[in-house]
Amino acid sequence: MRPSARRNTGFIREIDPRAAFPAGIPWLRRGYRLATTLLVAALLTASVGAPAAVPSASVTITVHGADGRPVPGAVITVRSLAADARPSAPIKAVMDQINRAFDPDLLIIPVGSSVDFPNSDTVSHQIYSFSAAKRFTLPLYRGNPNPPVRFDQAGIVTLGCNIHDEMVGYLVVTDAQYFGRTDATGSWTADIARGKYRVSVWHPRMNDDANDLERELTVSAGDRVTHELRLTKPLRPAPLSPHPHSWDGY
Amino acid sequence: MKSLAALLAAGVCLASIAHATDWEVDLDMRLLSSDGQRSYLDGGTGSLRYGQNQSGLQLGRLRLALDQNIGELWSVHLDASDWGDHDKNPIDLTEAYLLFRPYPFDGLRARVKAGAFYAPISLENRGPGWESPYTLTPSALNTWIGEELRTIGLEGQIDWLGTRTGHLFDVGLTGAVYGWNEPAGVALASQGFMLDDRQTTLFGRVNPTPGLDDPHEVFHEIDGRKGVYAGIEARFLDRLVVRALRYDNRSDPTQQDRATHTFAWLTTFNSAGARLESANGWTGIAQWLQGETTISPHHLRFGYPFDAKFLLISKQIGRHTFSARYDRFEVLTNFVTATGDNYAQYGHAWTIAYLFEPNTHWRFALEWLDVSTESALREAILPSAEVSRERKIEASFRYALGSEVR
Repeated sequence: MRPSARRNTGFIREIDPRAAFPAGIPWLRRGYRLATTLLVAALLTASVGAPAAVPSASVTITVHGADGRPVPGAVITVRSLAADARPSAPIKAVMDQINRAFDPDLLIIPVGSSVDFPNSDTVSHQIYSFSAAKRFTLPLYRGNPNPPVRFDQAGIVTLGCNIHDEMVGYLVVTDAQYFGRTDATGSWTADIARGKYRVSVWHPRMNDDANDLERELTVSAGDRVTHELRLTKPLRPAPLSPHPHSWDGY
Repeated sequence: MKSLAALLAAGVCLASIAHATDWEVDLDMRLLSSDGQRSYLDGGTGSLRYGQNQSGLQLGRLRLALDQNIGELWSVHLDASDWGDHDKNPIDLTEAYLLFRPYPFDGLRARVKAGAFYAPISLENRGPGWESPYTLTPSALNTWIGEELRTIGLEGQIDWLGTRTGHLFDVGLTGAVYGWNEPAGVALASQGFMLDDRQTTLFGRVNPTPGLDDPHEVFHEIDGRKGVYAGIEARFLDRLVVRALRYDNRSDPTQQDRATHTFAWLTTFNSAGARLESANGWTGIAQWLQGETTISPHHLRFGYPFDAKFLLISKQIGRHTFSARYDRFEVLTNFVTATGDNYAQYGHAWTIAYLFEPNTHWRFALEWLDVSTESALREAILPSAEVSRERKIEASFRYALGSEVR
């Protein structure tokens, strides 16, 4: 993992110990949590170490909406244009289902990564995607009976539940070297090795064509680069809060 | 109370044995004060579920719902209720159907239902058990649907899920073929529109014309002809739902059941409605229904054109929901009645409700309802009471338990 992943709040939630074992085995959950913490620490240490030898610059990318306001939660990917560039190493991630919602509702994962889809609800879910980047279905289930799903093709994967229409989740499968989501101020910062890159932005509620927003970025060692991306169209409205009881059965 | 014990026992058994079964048991008790006439459900001509004679503590509803998956793509849904009244069966089904739901493919999704279920008309009855999350009592329009309409047959639905493919809206088409509904329309012609939350059960009986008829089964086949409906629904994100539906039960209005003497009512209508929701908790619903129900005994034709509409405004603040609704409705006649009128009923109603769900198990509700009606039947029975204003204030305490309760 690259240092940029530390700013990817989605990733921090990816390895979720709640999902791996049922609530009835607390000692196992504690043990798993410790192991997971060590694994995350090891991953982050390794990733901090790897690019440190390459001269880099601190790059901040900010995203503003058509109204000039910052856009939190936008997905930023920074892909090297070098011929020998390789995508980030695959990871193992978890997207849970809690209170009839995907949790987290968006994950950014490198190509080749695997994602576990446990169901922590008391009702069954039936997960599907008909997105071009990955078509798959998970049969009706509770708990975590299914093996992880591997994502080998870059693109946006939209997830739904065949039982509960209100459930929508997103996986951004990327071959970029650096990626993350903008914070509350619409900014994302990463230490990026020098070179030429293509910067892309995407948001689940974006009306702009993502191709129109792509920009080239040249990073020189030691720079502090600030790059601004501005959407040309307003975002779609955010989904309504979930209703307190299960509605819309009719 | 036997039915209560039976339902609770069934729920406990299900909890222990049916891992793959989603289930829910709800108990809804009511405390009310009504100045209404004896309810039409109780052999009177009142428009409310409870008349003055029933003020006090009542069992609003005891409900058991089961969803059982069969393999990957099929499931069975059963919804049974005890309404605490004097119907033939203490517990009976309001819905029972088999659902086929293949996985969506390329943005298209299909659903097929077979059994007994509600047509997709109401925009307020969106909660479990076809209840409204805004008021205790549904609108006059949807009260009639709960009382006399149930699709007993086959329904197909196909949806284009645009919002899953980067678009702003979804569109769905629905069509159905059904039977066992020829009596649908008799209550409307006899008494007109009512305001109550009791849903007629599949084997239950109603008494549309007290003193003139015996109670009869609403869902009954008389002429062997199948009815149809077709509808369209469009959804803009999760903010706006617009529905329209054309219903025609294709009954032969000259036919009459030989045993019960119940007529086959030819009932046709158009319905349309919209529901708009905002991010700050506001909901607005407008719904409209217009049609006619007809019988033709002995080469005569008795037609009852009807029209009902309502507007509901609701505001949700956390777990508190405040709602207000205005109903307007009328049932006319294409002939002059015995009382010299050319209407069966018309009226209007105001409903104000407050609902509070402190957690997923409990719901407390308080509702005030004021309905004014003018009824030809009431005038025939009680000439001094042709015009009636009925009011009630009703509190509800509901506890829900089960795997489907979050």
